Amino acid sequence: MKNYDLLTPEGTRDLIFDECAALRSISEKLRVIYTSHGYTEVITPGLEFFDVFNNKSRHYPQEVLYKLTDGKGRLMVMRPDTTMPIARLVGTRLRTSPLPLKLFYDQTIYRANPKESGRDDEFYQSGIEIIGGEVMRSDMEALSIAAEVMQSFEAEDYRFEIGDSGIFTMLSDKLDLPEHELDDLREYVMGKNYPALDDMLSRFGDNAYARAVRGMTRLFGGSEVFAEAEKLLPDEAKPVLHRLEKVYDSLCALGIGGKVTVDLGFAGKSSNYYTGIVFNGYIEGYGMPVLTGGRYDKLIADFGVDTPATGFAVNENAVADALLRRSGGMLLPTPDVMIWSDNDSIVAAIEHCRKLIADGLTADYTDLADINAARELAKKRGCKRLDVVTADGVKTETIG
Amino acid sequence: MSDKIRIALTKGRLEKDTVGLFEKIGFDVTELRDKGRRLILEVPGQDIEVVLAKAADVITYVELGACDLGVVGKDTILEHGGRYFEVADLGFGRCRFALASKKGSDFYGGVGVKTVATKYPNVTRHFFEGKRMDVDIVKIEGSVELAPLLRIADGIVDIVETGTTLKENGLEVIEDVVPISARLIVNTVSMKLKKERIETLAEMMQKAL
Repeated sequence: MKNYDLLTPEGTRDLIFDECAALRSISEKLRVIYTSHGYTEVITPGLEFFDVFNNKSRHYPQEVLYKLTDGKGRLMVMRPDTTMPIARLVGTRLRTSPLPLKLFYDQTIYRANPKESGRDDEFYQSGIEIIGGEVMRSDMEALSIAAEVMQSFEAEDYRFEIGDSGIFTMLSDKLDLPEHELDDLREYVMGKNYPALDDMLSRFGDNAYARAVRGMTRLFGGSEVFAEAEKLLPDEAKPVLHRLEKVYDSLCALGIGGKVTVDLGFAGKSSNYYTGIVFNGYIEGYGMPVLTGGRYDKLIADFGVDTPATGFAVNENAVADALLRRSGGMLLPTPDVMIWSDNDSIVAAIEHCRKLIADGLTADYTDLADINAARELAKKRGCKRLDVVTADGVKTETIG
Repeated sequence: MSDKIRIALTKGRLEKDTVGLFEKIGFDVTELRDKGRRLILEVPGQDIEVVLAKAADVITYVELGACDLGVVGKDTILEHGGRYFEVADLGFGRCRFALASKKGSDFYGGVGVKTVATKYPNVTRHFFEGKRMDVDIVKIEGSVELAPLLRIADGIVDIVETGTTLKENGLEVIEDVVPISARLIVNTVSMKLKKERIETLAEMMQKAL
């Protein structure tokens, strides 16, 4: 029998040293941002019933879920998302709480990616949900906090992109396509697959809605997008466009204008729960969005409480990866002082460590019997100071 | 941010056609032509880096953001899927996926489950799912035409250009599956962070076609 005792499963890995430190520091930064805005943390189970992730407004394809069964043979999954468990929570234990509810979470997510795709199957995700707020206000709050989050990473460069799934929904309704073609169209818009889009829409001739779908897919960038969209989109789509423009202007007023872009070519997926504004955050050095969010007004109704909601999630591992790659990280942290003691001074050494720590230093008791081994270790770790504790007291040696 | 953009080309014919396109645009392609065994090359004066890779790897590099753009066949895109933008049909590398079987045999006849040999199991599965047909798929690495001749398959799904290989082996096309040509794909983040450079290059390439 082949043993796998030296491997971690594909898509998972051990995080060590700087990898942990980077992940935790991102997590801490986000926590401070959320709590300072009045958000409260929730922790949901890592295991949930499959049914939570398979409802009307959102279903996860079976292929992406890690599944198992409980003692009664019921289908369970490792949570692939935290928004749906939170919707469940709002529909049950929190159903009598005063709205709007402002929640945050910071926990692992599991998704079965295609083999050898280089993506994480397990990663830390941190995010907020605003449940039951007025639409414009909560959209702006979610967006402004997301912008704070993007800035807090101090990446070399970042972009914050907004769109609205309502434009595509409105236009595609008018084209009256059968379901499978609608799915194809959605896929082409999302994939900016211009040639396939042109092929598919050519049969509509000079139809204004078809022209608008084709045009919107190419419309992304700065404020110039709105002027062009004004010419391109039919009147029915204007209210959504104008609302998006108002959001864009508000973000500029908040001082991040140069970092915000608009992409009108957003169609969502048929399996997606977004119903209005959607946004993504990108940082230099990572090939996929590190932050995704948007409005989901129908999801919580699936759990029995009909209330609008919006939120976003950050892939913390992705951010940590990108930042570490830039700094070239991966070092074992160096303590300020390392301490060695002889056999009779163990208690004194521990007390000495405590004193150093109280003075604000990091103190690492070497746990070695041989003083030369301790000197060698301090040298390897790059520590300049070794405190030697014996019956004669503490003597400081300089290493290196 | 670095202004350099990196484009991955599928080694072989698509690479040659793309280099030809670059030459038409007016880029200095001497290094691309005289590359020796190097796999990363420069287009002088353009801040463009060219990476040469196998088709499926072009997709991987673009998807993960190691390359901003890629030139790859629709055949590879259909087989591998993935998340990236497919912004242009470059028109060259034209051929098609087709279903073929032994000349004179009735592939669709009878009620038995058919066996189909292919190098492209995903394309094949998708094609027959669309027909609501259960088929057994056998993955073959080399000359797929052998499979019906050795009687391990009723038919094959493969790339067909002229049909000569099929004919010489006593096979014929029963049905076209999907047309193929070279596509320009773009990493989803690069498209946003390097919009202007990428759109300009894509436009130049399309104009030069």
